[in-house]
Amino acid sequence: MNTTSSWKALSSPPLISSTSTRPKVKTFPNPRFSPKNIRCMLDSNINHNFGSNPNPPTHDFPVSFATASVEAPLKTTTTSDKLHHLVSEFRSLTEPIDRVKRLLNYASTLTPLDDSARVQANRVNGCTTQVWLEIKMDEFGKMRFRGDSDSEISKGFCSCLIWILDGAKPEEVMGVRSEDLSEMNVGVHGKAQSRVNTWHNVLMSMQKRTMALVLDADVAHQEGDRPPQDHLFDDVNGNYMDYSSSKVPDYSISLLPMYYDFTI
Amino acid sequence: MEAVVVTMKLPSFKSLSPNAISISSVHRSFSFLRRSSSLSVASSSEPVSLGHHTRNDFRILHQEVNGSKLVYLDNAATSQKPAAVLDALQNYYEFYNSNVHRGIHYLSAKATDEFELARKKVARFINASDSREIVFTRNATEAINLVAYSWGLSNLKPGDEVILTVAEHHSCIVPWQIVSQKTGAVLKFVTLNEDEIPDIDMLREMISSKTKLVAVHHVSNVLASSLPIEEIVVWAHDVGAKVLVDACQSVPHMVVDVQKLNADFLVASSHKMCGPTGIGFLYGKSDLLHAMPPFLGGGEMISDVFLDHSTYAEPPSRFEAGTPAIGEAIALGAAVDYLSGIGMSKIHEYEVELSNYLYEKLSSLPNVRIYGPKPSEKVNRAALCSFNVEGLHPTDLATFLDQQHGVAIRSGHHCAQPLHRYLGVNASARASLYFYNTKEDVDSFIVALADTVSFFDSFK
Repeated sequence: MNTTSSWKALSSPPLISSTSTRPKVKTFPNPRFSPKNIRCMLDSNINHNFGSNPNPPTHDFPVSFATASVEAPLKTTTTSDKLHHLVSEFRSLTEPIDRVKRLLNYASTLTPLDDSARVQANRVNGCTTQVWLEIKMDEFGKMRFRGDSDSEISKGFCSCLIWILDGAKPEEVMGVRSEDLSEMNVGVHGKAQSRVNTWHNVLMSMQKRTMALVLDADVAHQEGDRPPQDHLFDDVNGNYMDYSSSKVPDYSISLLPMYYDFTI
Repeated sequence: MEAVVVTMKLPSFKSLSPNAISISSVHRSFSFLRRSSSLSVASSSEPVSLGHHTRNDFRILHQEVNGSKLVYLDNAATSQKPAAVLDALQNYYEFYNSNVHRGIHYLSAKATDEFELARKKVARFINASDSREIVFTRNATEAINLVAYSWGLSNLKPGDEVILTVAEHHSCIVPWQIVSQKTGAVLKFVTLNEDEIPDIDMLREMISSKTKLVAVHHVSNVLASSLPIEEIVVWAHDVGAKVLVDACQSVPHMVVDVQKLNADFLVASSHKMCGPTGIGFLYGKSDLLHAMPPFLGGGEMISDVFLDHSTYAEPPSRFEAGTPAIGEAIALGAAVDYLSGIGMSKIHEYEVELSNYLYEKLSSLPNVRIYGPKPSEKVNRAALCSFNVEGLHPTDLATFLDQQHGVAIRSGHHCAQPLHRYLGVNASARASLYFYNTKEDVDSFIVALADTVSFFDSFK
């Protein structure tokens, strides 16, 4: 895989559920797994891969029983829109098993992280499963996320969160509340603060590390110097990111209170 | 699944002590549940199992979760509380809530009496020779920390050795790491033998004149194995070392006699033995407790306070700084009454039967790896199984069991990361039983597990 291309910015969010790419129907022997008229908002080839994926998933969608009875409005360009769509999608699934199936579908669209990224520094704290997040800021000051887990359900959480937040501005990343995600009603029940709540833990990790990158970028910008941190190395072009171009806004002041709010 | 449940034969259990029956007849607002359950049991000609009989005392078990009948198999994490315990807690707060040991009024005297009576009940329950050997703590973790900070800091020196096993709960590893960093003492860990039991031969060989403490579990919360504490105590005492027993998984499930074990310290937690959270206890031999300095400073633990120094109260008060968890201690006393009413031997006997049934059923499923020893005539496993299903993360499994089947099990490392690392896994699933579980619960779990595996397999 060409690793340099994997971090390229996405020009537009590919939120298409096309009838022409409708996946095949899978059947389950247990009658409780009966297909529902549910549909998948996300496509298998979308931005989970940070752009081009040389090996797009070819397997059937678990949500293949989706009949796409109604086309949803898919012009979702903002983080808020995406969040709303995803919440709506999961809320439309009344059976818990269908929500789990949908999550597993999204898990299957996530490009696995290389072993080099499955390291302790990228681990998300607090999960009962192993979750890794690779987080970078691109040359436009947008946040780029990749993730993986040894658990299929956690992978599904990562997939959804990455779909919502990949390519977002830092303040958009910081603006998502874990309570918003709990409305999707999949995974651990109850409020978001449980240490086993992957939604919460992954989101917190995304926000915390986004904040750190913003502060680093700000310091580098103010000092007019090359950033010393490895994670600010732009491996797309093989250069350090150019902070002197003022493409990276100063979020440090505006984001601090929000960040600390999350930690209360 | 339902069909499987109703066609199961009731497991045999012949009789219950009169005490148990009287305890279970406590009047509660949910007596209708008991009546309906009793009717269904009475209609069978089979003898009633301990599980079937006692589950009527636990209102929480009679509910639906995610549209399925709740099957609670996370008892090693915490147990449910019978009506008698809830009543005790309610009665305290409703009728005689007051601070203990200092008030001269009626309510305070009554609260003090009941609080100290609870201490006596716990002492009798584990056959301590004197109730002053029971120190109430917040939980077993605090009890171990108490020994680590009080006894450990004042007795361990550089080069001294503390022997543990790799199967200890984090609460019996981390305090000793902290103390060893402060004192220069060395921690030595016993690994597992080929049967996946902590290697007793290795432990015996490890004990030397340098050994000052052996701190081990009685029953493992992951492996379901038990250690021969009486023998370990003899080996340790031969070299002048002390023994601390983490009895969190044994005291709730079997007869534990501290005088017979002859251990120096033993800790247990109320919430794992039908009592409330927020209370646990340390048993310590009188002479040891008397020689130990305070752990926390404050009210209750002092004799006299001057501006420049204080003198300390006798044990157990010396180690109970501040207002204790009064209602919780009293309710723990009620839990002890409840368990004693059934009889710990009876509970253990029934759980051995359940444990074998669980192991047999679980091991019959394909691609399931159960950790710990195989049950045999020589090996009685505790009524729990930690396991993994090949190719399936235990947390995915536990999530689906809960959401689709209402089966509550644990996933993760069960506060035993070093053990999981030793076993070569990051996590495991764990189904753990208590006396109010039944073979039907095990059947429901097995059917649900098979369904879960097939569900995830269908996505591969």
